[in-house]
Amino acid sequence: MADHNDPNAVNSIFSDIDVSAADLYDIFGFPIEDTTGGEKVYIALTFAPVPEAGVFDTDMLYRLRMHAHARPVPPSRRDWSLDALLKYFDAVKDKYLGDFKPAEIRVTVGGDQRARVSFKGFPGGSFDAVVDLDRVTTIDSPDGHAIKAFLGGRDDAFFNDLPGFFRSINYAPQFYHVPHSMTEARELPIPKTLLELEGNHLFNFDPANPNLGRGEKKPLPPGPWTWEGDRFAKDADGNYRFVYSGEDAQAGRNINAIALEIPLEFITRSPAEERIVSTWGESWVLKAANKIETIPDNPFWLEKPLTAIRTGRPDDELERYKLVDTDGQPFADAGLSEREDNRQLGANNFFLAPHFVKRLAHLGWGFGPSIGALGLKSSFDHDDAPVSVHRTYASAVTAFPRARKVIFQALNMPDDSWNPKGLNIPPRRPFEIFVPNVCAIDMDTTGSWPYGRRLEDQVATRFLSLFLDHEAELNGKPVNVETLGDQALWDAAPIVPKSPPNPLRNDKEFLAEFPYLAEPW
Amino acid sequence: MIAVSDYEAELERIDRDIAALAPDDVAQATALLSLRCQRASLTGDLAALPAVEGEIDAALAEYGTWPDLCVVKAGVASTLHRVADARRALELAPGVAEHLPGRAMLADLDREEGRYEEALRGYEAALRDEPAWDTYARLADLTSKLGDADAAGDLFAAAVDELTAKQMRSYAWVELQWGRMELRRGRHDDGADHYARASAAYTGWWLVDEHVAQLLAARGELETAAALYKDLAARVPKPELQHAAGDTNAALGRPERARPFHDRALAAYRASAERGEVHYLHHLADACTDAAEAVRWARRDLELRPNAYTRAALAWALHRAGRSGEALDAIEGALASPLRDARLYGKAATIHRAAGRLAESDDYERRAAALH
Repeated sequence: MADHNDPNAVNSIFSDIDVSAADLYDIFGFPIEDTTGGEKVYIALTFAPVPEAGVFDTDMLYRLRMHAHARPVPPSRRDWSLDALLKYFDAVKDKYLGDFKPAEIRVTVGGDQRARVSFKGFPGGSFDAVVDLDRVTTIDSPDGHAIKAFLGGRDDAFFNDLPGFFRSINYAPQFYHVPHSMTEARELPIPKTLLELEGNHLFNFDPANPNLGRGEKKPLPPGPWTWEGDRFAKDADGNYRFVYSGEDAQAGRNINAIALEIPLEFITRSPAEERIVSTWGESWVLKAANKIETIPDNPFWLEKPLTAIRTGRPDDELERYKLVDTDGQPFADAGLSEREDNRQLGANNFFLAPHFVKRLAHLGWGFGPSIGALGLKSSFDHDDAPVSVHRTYASAVTAFPRARKVIFQALNMPDDSWNPKGLNIPPRRPFEIFVPNVCAIDMDTTGSWPYGRRLEDQVATRFLSLFLDHEAELNGKPVNVETLGDQALWDAAPIVPKSPPNPLRNDKEFLAEFPYLAEPW
Repeated sequence: MIAVSDYEAELERIDRDIAALAPDDVAQATALLSLRCQRASLTGDLAALPAVEGEIDAALAEYGTWPDLCVVKAGVASTLHRVADARRALELAPGVAEHLPGRAMLADLDREEGRYEEALRGYEAALRDEPAWDTYARLADLTSKLGDADAAGDLFAAAVDELTAKQMRSYAWVELQWGRMELRRGRHDDGADHYARASAAYTGWWLVDEHVAQLLAARGELETAAALYKDLAARVPKPELQHAAGDTNAALGRPERARPFHDRALAAYRASAERGEVHYLHHLADACTDAAEAVRWARRDLELRPNAYTRAALAWALHRAGRSGEALDAIEGALASPLRDARLYGKAATIHRAAGRLAESDDYERRAAALH
C-alpha cells in the first residue's frame, strides 16, 4: 500500500476497475555503498505488471523526476506553531511554482518492446537511448557517465499486510462489494484503530471467514456503518486482537520496474554541496486523440481529401499524454490523500497542506488510543481517550493543536547505522517528509527511510511510528521508527497475534547487485 | 491470421466476459447485466434490452437496491425513452443521483423533459465535481443545440482531452457527436474530418458507417449513401437504418426500392409499439403513412417526453394531417424553448408557409440558414 491501487481511477480493489499499467506502486532510492568511480544513487520506480511482468504497455510514458539540492538547515529554535508550518508550506510552494526545472528520465516502450529512455535537463545535457527490456544495460551519457538501467519484470519489493492496513482504517472495498459510485462507503465512519473494537462486526477478524478481505468479499450490509461501542475487544484471556496479521499480502506477486543507478555527478555539478537527491515518479497515458496518429487511415477515407489529423498543441511530448498517478513517499496517497484522483500532484502537493493536518488528526484519534492501550505513549493529543474515536475536522486550525507533535516531532532511527559518516544530519520530521511528496535521498546516509527508501525498509511499520511519541523511551531505549517492528514489544503486550504489524522482510531475497530487485516469480 | 476490427475484438471480449461470469453476488450480477447492456448498445440491438431489464429487476429483488444496478436500470430505461422509469431507478438507492454517472443521467432526463436550463446547470455542476469526458460531451451537445456551436466545439475538445488510449471507442463516439454537430452547421468537410478520426480510432464500427452515410447523403452523394445504408441495414438490427435506406432510395426517385426498406422499418416500429415500448414512437410518427395515426403516436411521445423535438414532431404530424392551425400552435411550443436548431426552424418555415404565413416562413428559413 505504499502507493498500490491509487488514485481511484486505477484502484483495482473496486471490482469494476481493471489493473492498470498506470498504477504506480513504489519508488525506492538510496546511495550506492560502493563509491568506486564516484558516488551513485539508485532509483527504482515500480508499477503494475500490465500487460504482464517483463512486458510494458506501449501507451504509457513513465517519468522519473529528480533534482539535487543542499540539505536544509534546521530551524535554530523549536517552533512547533501553525505559523511555522504555514511558512514552510509557503516556501515549498514558492519553490515548486517558481522557476523550478527538475531533470527527468522518461521511458516509453514501442511495439517492439524496446524502451526509449530520454534523459532531459541534466547538467551534461539531454539525450536518448534505446534499451532492451529485462536486461541490465549500461547507458553512456555524452559527457562520459555510465548509467546502469534495468527495465522489466521483477518480484514486488513491497512487503506488507495490506488487509491489516485496510482493517485499521475500515476501508470497505477491501472486504465488501462497494460500487465505485458509492463514495460514502469507502472508509466507513468507524474509528481508525490498531486494535479491534468490541462489536465492530464489519471489520473484526471473523474465524468463520478467515479470507474475508484476502481475496474474498461479501455484500456490504445495509447501514448505518457506524460503531456504537466503548472499548477495545478482548478475548477470554484478556488479550486485545491486533488488526494486523504480519503476513505479506504481496508475496508471490510481480511488478514492472524502471531501475537506474546514476552517478551523482551526472545529476549535479555540485555533488559536494548538493547532498540530497529528491525524486518522484509519474505515470502518463497516451491521449486517445494522439493514438490515432499511429493507426493507418481506414481505406474508405483514402479516397477523400481529408485534412491532416489534428495534432493539438506544439510538439511537446507530454501534451500527448495525460497524468494519472504520482509516487514520492510511501503512504502519502493511501494514508494521507485518500487516493483522490485530483490529489495526484507529485512534488506539487503543497496545496494539500491543510488536508494533511486534518487527516493526521483524524488518523491520530484512531491510532493514538490504540497505542495508549498497549502502554506506549502517543504523539497525538487524544485526551487519554480509552478507546479509538472517529472524529473528522473541517478546519486545519482546529485540528493542528492535536496533531502538532505528530507533525513536528523529530523521528528517531533505531541506531546510528543510517548515518555511516557520523555527520551532524538533522533528524527528519513528518511535515518535511510528506510535503513535498518526494523521496528525498540523503547521499551521506544509507538512504534508509525517511532519508530515502531502501528495498528492505518496512515502511508501513515506520509510517505508523509517526503516532508514537519519539521523545519517550521504551525499555530504556528511545522510541524510534522501528519500535513497532520489535518482536519483544509484542511478546510482552496483551495482544494476539504476537507479531509486528507487518512482515519484517520481503518474500524473496533482494539481489546483492544491480538491479537489486529480486527476480520475478 | 485474419485481422479483426476493434469492434469485432471488443464484441468477442464482451462475449467471453459474459460467458465467464456466473454471478453469485450482487457485484458479479451487476457486472454481467452491465455487460449485456453494453453488448446491446454496441451492436445496436435494442430489442435485447427489455429482457435484460427483466433480469435487472430480478437482481434488484434478490440483492436489494444496489446503487450500480440502479444506474444500469436507469440507463436501460433512458435508452428506451422511459424517462419517468429512469428517474425512479435513480431514486431507488440514496445518493445515486448525487454522484456521477447518476448526476449526469438526471440532467439527461431533465433535457428529455424539456427542462433545458436545468439540464445545463446539472451538467455544469457535475463537471465542477469531476471533469468526466462524457459529461463534457453531453454539455457540448446541449450547448450546440442552444445555438453556441463554438462553445460546443470547445467542450467537445475538452471531452476528447480527457480520453486516453484505453478508451478508443469512447473517443470515436465523441468524434462522431462532434462531427454531427459540424454537419448540422453545414460544415461537411469538418464533419468528415471528425468521422475520419472516429473511423481510425475504432475500426469496424457500424455507428461510424451510419454517420458516414448521413454525411454522404448530406453531400448529395446519394448512390453511395444508399449502398452504405443497404449494407448497414443488413448487418445491424436497427429499424432506423431500414428507414434511412428507404428514404435515400426515395430521394433517388426509386420508390420500388424504397418500399421494402420502409415496410420493414414500419413493421419493426409497430411491433415495438405493440409490445408497449415507446422508444420508436417518434420514428413511427414519422414513418406511418396514415396521418391521423402519425398524430396519435406523436402525441403519445410528447406526453412521455415533453421537449422541443417531440413538440416539433407533433407539429409535423399535424401539418401532414392538414391540421394547419394546430400544427402552428405545436411548432410555436417547440420554438418557445431556448433551443436554436436548424431542423426546428426548417419545420417551422414549412408549417408557416402551409398556413399562408409567408413572412414568418421566410424568417425561419433565414434563421435555419444562419445556423448553417
